[in-house]
Amino acid sequence: MNKVMTMKEAVATHVQNNDFVYIGGYICRTPFSAVHEIIRQKKKGLTITRGNAADDFDMMIGAGVVRRFISTFISLGVYGLARCYRRSLEKCIPHKIEVEEYTNLSLPMMLMAGAMGMPFIPVKDLLGTDLMKIKGFLGENKYKLIDSPFDGKPVLVVPALNPDVGIIHVQQADENGNAQIWGIGGDCKYGANASKKVIVSCERIVSREVIGKDPSRTIVPDFKVVAVVEEPFASHPGYTPGFYDQDFGFGYLYKEASGTEEGFHAFLKEWVHDIPDRAAYIQHFIDRFGYAGYKKLQAKFDYGYPVSYEY
Amino acid sequence: MNEHPNDYIKPELMACCGAREIMDGDVVVVGTGFPTMSANIAKHTHAPRAVMLQESGVYDARPRRPALSVGDACLNPGAAMIGGLIDVMGMFLQGGWVDVGFLSGSQVDRYGNINTTCIGPYEQPKSRLPGSGGANPIGAMAKRGLIIVQHDPRRLPARLDFMTTPGYIDGPGAREKLNMPPKTGPSIIVTNKAILRFDPDTKEAYLASYHPGHTVDEIRRSTGWDIQVADDIQETEPPRAEELSVLRDILDPHRMIKIYEGKGYV
Repeated sequence: MNKVMTMKEAVATHVQNNDFVYIGGYICRTPFSAVHEIIRQKKKGLTITRGNAADDFDMMIGAGVVRRFISTFISLGVYGLARCYRRSLEKCIPHKIEVEEYTNLSLPMMLMAGAMGMPFIPVKDLLGTDLMKIKGFLGENKYKLIDSPFDGKPVLVVPALNPDVGIIHVQQADENGNAQIWGIGGDCKYGANASKKVIVSCERIVSREVIGKDPSRTIVPDFKVVAVVEEPFASHPGYTPGFYDQDFGFGYLYKEASGTEEGFHAFLKEWVHDIPDRAAYIQHFIDRFGYAGYKKLQAKFDYGYPVSYEY
Repeated sequence: MNEHPNDYIKPELMACCGAREIMDGDVVVVGTGFPTMSANIAKHTHAPRAVMLQESGVYDARPRRPALSVGDACLNPGAAMIGGLIDVMGMFLQGGWVDVGFLSGSQVDRYGNINTTCIGPYEQPKSRLPGSGGANPIGAMAKRGLIIVQHDPRRLPARLDFMTTPGYIDGPGAREKLNMPPKTGPSIIVTNKAILRFDPDTKEAYLASYHPGHTVDEIRRSTGWDIQVADDIQETEPPRAEELSVLRDILDPHRMIKIYEGKGYV
């Protein structure tokens, strides 16, 4: 089945108001074009999650599409604290989101448990800290401290997560959704597989035959995927290994803009609301920063030895 | 050549203090900035077989430019292994393979507990900070935690506004009671004024050495609790010529480390 569609169709069809959404990425392979489309379509009441959130989550929070955030961390990296996140929690602008806080170990473990159909999973972090004392919207189900059925010692267990939809950006996928990545993984593989359905955006659509030349790179099989969107440059200002580098200049632009509510909304208007799709985004980027500015981000090539799976 | 050139800046001294804590063969989880510099100084001097992990999923990266985040694009080409958070934080850290983890924060208390969550009350924060990220599990499970923080009473307070990352929690026996992995916990706090270490009995951080140009009195006044002073207190060894040449000639030829002076590490 050919699942190829536009990002507009994918988000309109598969992301509903009040959904629980996993959004992958770790600066590496951020599905930024999907994030922009979610904001453009003015989705409401979303619960969002992933380990180590960044500018994309900050933008959704500032745009008002988020109600709840299962979090481990959020910042703008070298550009410091996430401005919209701070405004939401410190000043209730545009509204105060509800946060449930874990760590870069426990949250990925909860997604892994979800992917594997387990009800909960033991972890060795969180113990003894205020992350145990503070419970958000999960309440008493944030964790349970139990006696191990094996040796009677205390063991902390955290619940499995199964998002309604997972959104990831990958280097390549086929038309049915077999999705392949290389480079820093974050919690992408488990987040996507924990989700009830997956939207895949990719730098390029390749044939099933190409997928089969290196099947160990596939992190999500096609039977979990409901939409495939060919979306070059989709991670910008994040990066995709082998395609383009992180755009630190644009990161600075966002930091400056998001420092004030007015600046943030002007940024959203210019880069999200007045832009119909990713192709127009690239064109606008080139109009603003010149073709040289676009070209500068493109990755060099340094191919490895091809692998052979033959017997 | 002088064994201890005197033209160093304070962040260089701090990076060297961190480096000297790393032993040959250590598995080290690093962030960006100080941790990477410290681990690389160690690798180029006394600990050539120390290896580095980034929590994002990278083992033994070979970056051609300084990484500005643990997810930086430059960490990909040339690494020995790339997986994800489950691989590094799960298989390696929780699996018990990590010797050294670097930590920092907006507040650190006498037991080496760290706050990276909020200033002010949690529900109504004056300043909302990023949260734990990988810090809490690193503090809970690395055999030796290396904490880097600026030395003033606000950042080294008597009480944290929020305990994000565990040190020795409320003192002796606390980690054991919670069944946290044995023989883990913070081993040193490197500040811009001093080195603090942890008393094996009380688990409290005490003043082990003062950096050149600072005094015990000044450091006591800059600490939010009544800090104990080691009987054998001494001056911190300044950067050695060999350490500085690694830092300046190989690791940081553009001396990006100077930005830490601007951040108050003076």
